Amino acid sequence: MEKKFNPIEGKSGAIIESVMNSNDIPSDESLQFKLRLSVEEVVENIVRYAYESGNGFIEVSTSVDGDTLSIRIKDGGKPFNPLAKKDPDVNASLEERQIGGLGIFLCKQMMDSVEYEYTEGCNVLTMKKIIK
Amino acid sequence: MNVTIYNEGRQTKVVLDGRLDTTNADQFQKDIAPLMEGADPDIEIDCEKMEYTSSQGLRIFLMLQKSVTGRGGKMVMKRMSPQVKEVFDITGFSHIITIV
Repeated sequence: MEKKFNPIEGKSGAIIESVMNSNDIPSDESLQFKLRLSVEEVVENIVRYAYESGNGFIEVSTSVDGDTLSIRIKDGGKPFNPLAKKDPDVNASLEERQIGGLGIFLCKQMMDSVEYEYTEGCNVLTMKKIIK
Repeated sequence: MNVTIYNEGRQTKVVLDGRLDTTNADQFQKDIAPLMEGADPDIEIDCEKMEYTSSQGLRIFLMLQKSVTGRGGKMVMKRMSPQVKEVFDITGFSHIITIV
């Protein structure tokens, strides 16, 4: 499955559903929960922050190779490696705890691998999950 | 995401039903705005039918917990599904929000 969205403002829900409705997504509910969460966190970050003008494209694609599902999310916004961000301190007290900054951390925890590259003017995030 | 809020004695009960995600987090924040005010709040949130939450939901639960604690009240979340509980565990939210 491969699908491109442009514009993306206000389209987070549709973009997430296009991935979740792909035939490559397994029917197991617990897996779907983890995949949906990972996709949402990445898409939401792009929609909110990638484009200065607030609008541009997102291209999502899914594929299965053996027992591994890959979900690739690509945008043409400013170069940004979400994986370079420091993980939140999950042991912080209520007073110290910052509101926000959890999305990409959750994605990394839910998937088996997450890789980032900046190529041909695009941010490309590839997430993999073993599904069998 | 359907949000039902009612009072039982001194306690405010909140029942969540559905998915809490980027498409409805802003609405959810508006729905629970009344819980962000008043002294000495006592809030119980029933999560049995909450199917999902992303970081958008966590952000709001953290804001609510901070607000409730700041006003000398208490907040409890109950009957979470194992998947939703895992999100709270992974992010350390289980340490700062009471889950029963």
